[in-house]
Amino acid sequence: MKKLWLHGVVLVLAVGYPLLARAGETIPIGVGGPFTGPYAAFGEQLWRGAEQAAQDINAAGGIDGKKIELFKGDDACEPKQALAVANQLVERHGVKAVIGHFCSSSTIPASEVYAEAGILQITPGSTNPMVTERGIKTLFRTCGRDNQQGSVGAQFVVNALHARAVAIVHDKDTYGQGLANAMRDELHRLGKKEVLYEGLTRGEKDFNALVTKFKSVNADAVYFGGLHNEAGPLIHQMKDQGLKATLVSGDGIVSQDFVVAAGGPPYAEGVHMTFGRDPRKIKEGHEVVERMRKIGYEPEGYTLYSYATLQVIAAAISATKKTDGATLANWLHSHDVPTVMGSKGWDAKGDLKVSDYVMYRWHGKGGYEEVP
Amino acid sequence: MGHPLLTQPLLTAILVLLLTAPVSGLVLDGYDFNLRWQPPLWLTLIAFCIHWMILLFKRWRLGEKTGKPSPWSRVSSWGSRPSVHRLAFFVLPVVGLVLPFFLGKYGLTVAILALIYVLLALGLNIVVGLAGLLDLGFVAFYAVGAYGYALGHHYLGLGFWLSLPLGALLAACCGIVLGFPVLRMHGDYLAIVTLGFGEIIRLVLNNWMDFTGGPNGLRVDFPTFFGLEFSRHAKEGGIPIHEFLGIDYSSNTRNIFIYLVLFLVVLLILALVSRLKTMPLGRAWEALREDEIACRSLGINHVTVKLSAFALGAMIGGIGGVFFAASQGFVNPTSFTFFESALILAIVVLGGLGSIPGVMIAAVVLTVLPEMLRDFSDYRILVFGLAMVVMMIWRPQGLVRARRPVFQGRKA
Amino acid sequence: MVATMAAEIFAQQTVNGLILGATYGLIAIGYTMVYGIIGMINFAHGEIYMVSAYLAAIFLAVLHFFGLTSVPLLLVAVLLATVLVTALYGWFVEKIAYRPLRHSTRLAPLITAIGVSLILQNYVRIAQGARSQGMPSLLQGSFILPVGDQGGVVQITYVQLLIIIVAFLSMAVLTFIMQGTSMGRACRATEQDRIMAALLGIDTNRIIAIVFVIGAAMAAIAGVLVSLNYGSFDFHIGFITGIKAFTAAVLGGIGSLPGAMLGGLILGLAESFFAGFVNSDYKDVFAFSLLVLVLIFRPSGLLGQPQITKV
Repeated sequence: MKKLWLHGVVLVLAVGYPLLARAGETIPIGVGGPFTGPYAAFGEQLWRGAEQAAQDINAAGGIDGKKIELFKGDDACEPKQALAVANQLVERHGVKAVIGHFCSSSTIPASEVYAEAGILQITPGSTNPMVTERGIKTLFRTCGRDNQQGSVGAQFVVNALHARAVAIVHDKDTYGQGLANAMRDELHRLGKKEVLYEGLTRGEKDFNALVTKFKSVNADAVYFGGLHNEAGPLIHQMKDQGLKATLVSGDGIVSQDFVVAAGGPPYAEGVHMTFGRDPRKIKEGHEVVERMRKIGYEPEGYTLYSYATLQVIAAAISATKKTDGATLANWLHSHDVPTVMGSKGWDAKGDLKVSDYVMYRWHGKGGYEEVP
Repeated sequence: MGHPLLTQPLLTAILVLLLTAPVSGLVLDGYDFNLRWQPPLWLTLIAFCIHWMILLFKRWRLGEKTGKPSPWSRVSSWGSRPSVHRLAFFVLPVVGLVLPFFLGKYGLTVAILALIYVLLALGLNIVVGLAGLLDLGFVAFYAVGAYGYALGHHYLGLGFWLSLPLGALLAACCGIVLGFPVLRMHGDYLAIVTLGFGEIIRLVLNNWMDFTGGPNGLRVDFPTFFGLEFSRHAKEGGIPIHEFLGIDYSSNTRNIFIYLVLFLVVLLILALVSRLKTMPLGRAWEALREDEIACRSLGINHVTVKLSAFALGAMIGGIGGVFFAASQGFVNPTSFTFFESALILAIVVLGGLGSIPGVMIAAVVLTVLPEMLRDFSDYRILVFGLAMVVMMIWRPQGLVRARRPVFQGRKA
Repeated sequence: MVATMAAEIFAQQTVNGLILGATYGLIAIGYTMVYGIIGMINFAHGEIYMVSAYLAAIFLAVLHFFGLTSVPLLLVAVLLATVLVTALYGWFVEKIAYRPLRHSTRLAPLITAIGVSLILQNYVRIAQGARSQGMPSLLQGSFILPVGDQGGVVQITYVQLLIIIVAFLSMAVLTFIMQGTSMGRACRATEQDRIMAALLGIDTNRIIAIVFVIGAAMAAIAGVLVSLNYGSFDFHIGFITGIKAFTAAVLGGIGSLPGAMLGGLILGLAESFFAGFVNSDYKDVFAFSLLVLVLIFRPSGLLGQPQITKV
């Protein structure tokens, strides 16, 4: 029996080896995110950013002469598919590093696969604290954390809106609930208590009953932890029922799709959200932003985060001349990397040393602007 | 009138153009739209060709002499020959046992999934195929098994080996509990109530955040082999199996192990189910399916017979669930949607209601097919749906027609 | 003050429930008629509704492109075009996927129905993309009705009012067609006894096709109005709404037209009240439990005819 096991291992190696040998010509890198399903808009942001970065790096000679080859891993923002896709990226494509995933609920289960395989993973968009709190050494992020985001949201609701009654709603997902909880904690710290705390179900469109509930508790501010697909109908129905409350949310609605889901700019107008300082306004990124706009793509939301993430991976590989996760991670912990979003450095957990959230407001023309 | 061979397809083509022009030719972009010429024209052309070919084929079949068995019927009669059965009886287990050592990691996960679906289909086959009770919520028992393991592990620290019988028992109990109220219902009302139960279980799993983790799911530990773990580094004091055996670490070892255990369980269940078919209980199921009133007047206790079908089917589904949780290392409610119930039902119907070999073949085909189509990524489910419709129209009675066991008296 | 507040909230939740229920009822008609006539659960019906939402948005965009701006004209044109093409979809699906299986086992069309719903869902996803799409709000503004004497109000948007009016209007027209025309008589005859109807010279295949067309047309009306109401839709909406509408059809007694509407309204109100006054997480659990309970105590639904087993 023991010999049979060995045969199996030998066979797997024999089949696997040619793949590894071929991979020598390029450096395969995975991009994990929701490329299909209701949250495909975010997957596209990640892919566009990474694709542009790969083109630019390859045009400049690649990483020490080796070209970057990107592989899509579609998780549809579902934990189950994230696991399957992570295995596929590792086993079939033999990726050396992963950009992704997007939804925290996908990033967390997928990260265990990458960690076991010893592959560097950098997520440009998963903001849930648990992502980096589990002690995985090879996991980093180029975005902020929800506790920072939630507290900015809570401070805004209390200090700028002077809200008397705050309702908190989330979509039960790791990201949405994490954000809602972070906001609630900060609210309590500021000495306020929410009047309503409830979950809604992803994929639904009818929140009229919930909106009437906001009315019944006289909410004048509603904080939503979730993504644009549910935020859109929520604000639509709030306005239809004549509710005057302000909707405040996080970075899950930073996409033009939010305006479409809400039913047009008039509905989206006045919705507030927290997001990192607009990456399009950082001077290092000007040239890239211009180039992407020229081909007809507006690098909104997480596009530039994804671009920066690939730059970080490329920098680490070219500095260490290695591709194993542990070496790359060690290097990243001790070096700052210049990116299109400015210079980035990481603490021991893999979180950014500096990350700042600011409040944005959707205006009547379908775009968003920083709240001064 | 033109030639009927061309006018009919032409009409179809015009209809398809009308249908597809708005949805695939005018693509929404915000509140505006973009015009695309090619997709509707291609679809129209394809529809024209398909209809034309069907007409040609029909004409050809008409001209052909009847009475000649089609090649397919030869295959299916070959499948039911006893000598072939005996051969399969010896060859299949050997092939199944050796197979994992020749599959890569990816192939192995697909094989495990296929075996899980074989289990689920065998379970549902008892309820729908043999007992004739249309169950649209079979996924509930699958979920009970999977969550039984995950929750038992999370709160009570139960291992895989204890969870396997417990999960099966739990699912069987659920089957009985569900069975009681629906005994009075017939046919489609039963289908709807089971559908309701399936959705209720999934919704509760999804919403009871404090207990089940909600949409974010629960992590499950992988099974151990007499205390030997399959991870790279063992937890608190355990020994990883690769150190124990002195071989290099490979994440495949664990999957091969799960595969082998699962395979043995499938063989066991298979033996059980094919035995049951010829036993009085199995006969009573089929009799009850054919005519309930006649059975009751003949003194068959329809309550115990129906409940036993529900309980056994549910038990097998629960075992499938435990294995699913063990192989994924993770469970969350999206694995237990109505689509999954529909898929299992499709397996049972496509395989041929009540036919065990047919159901097994269909289970393997319907799980391996979507995986093979993964390279078409975008068109995967579309092709899968097409295959379902075409298969059903082509062979409405399923791949393999169910055969009643025949008892022949000894020849004089 | 508290009493007014409660009355106001109660009234608003009733309105929410009625609107939701009216749309369920419209879609449920397709399920209930098809089931009544060929005894099959048409699982693809929810997807037909989804397709109609896309069609509505597309026609709206096209008409807008050609410079049509008058809102009533737009509404009528979009409604007509959507109903027409969606009905064609219903007819086509029946011809391709269900008619060839008319004489095979009862489960065979159920499986093709599942196949068809997969095909429609993914066809739309591939053609239109996975992101959720939007519908500009044509009718803005709302009625504000006073509740009680201390200034409580209930707000009903024009679109919501339109939903309720159109739902009941189309129910009335449909009832007239079924009761008063020769086609309706033929439908009912086919429903009673298909073989006998065929013997009496009714083209049952045509009647079955008509039933599919009517069901799809009703779903299309719901599709246009619902997407106008919520302002957004995606290729997933067919599934959830389909199951709910089907539940409504069963609740009211499958096969019965008024039953479909009644079931829809009860389901809508139940969901809305449960979400509003108890807990919005478990509103669907409540809806399905209601279904199970009704079926246990009244196995053929609220207005359905009890099944008689002939020996």
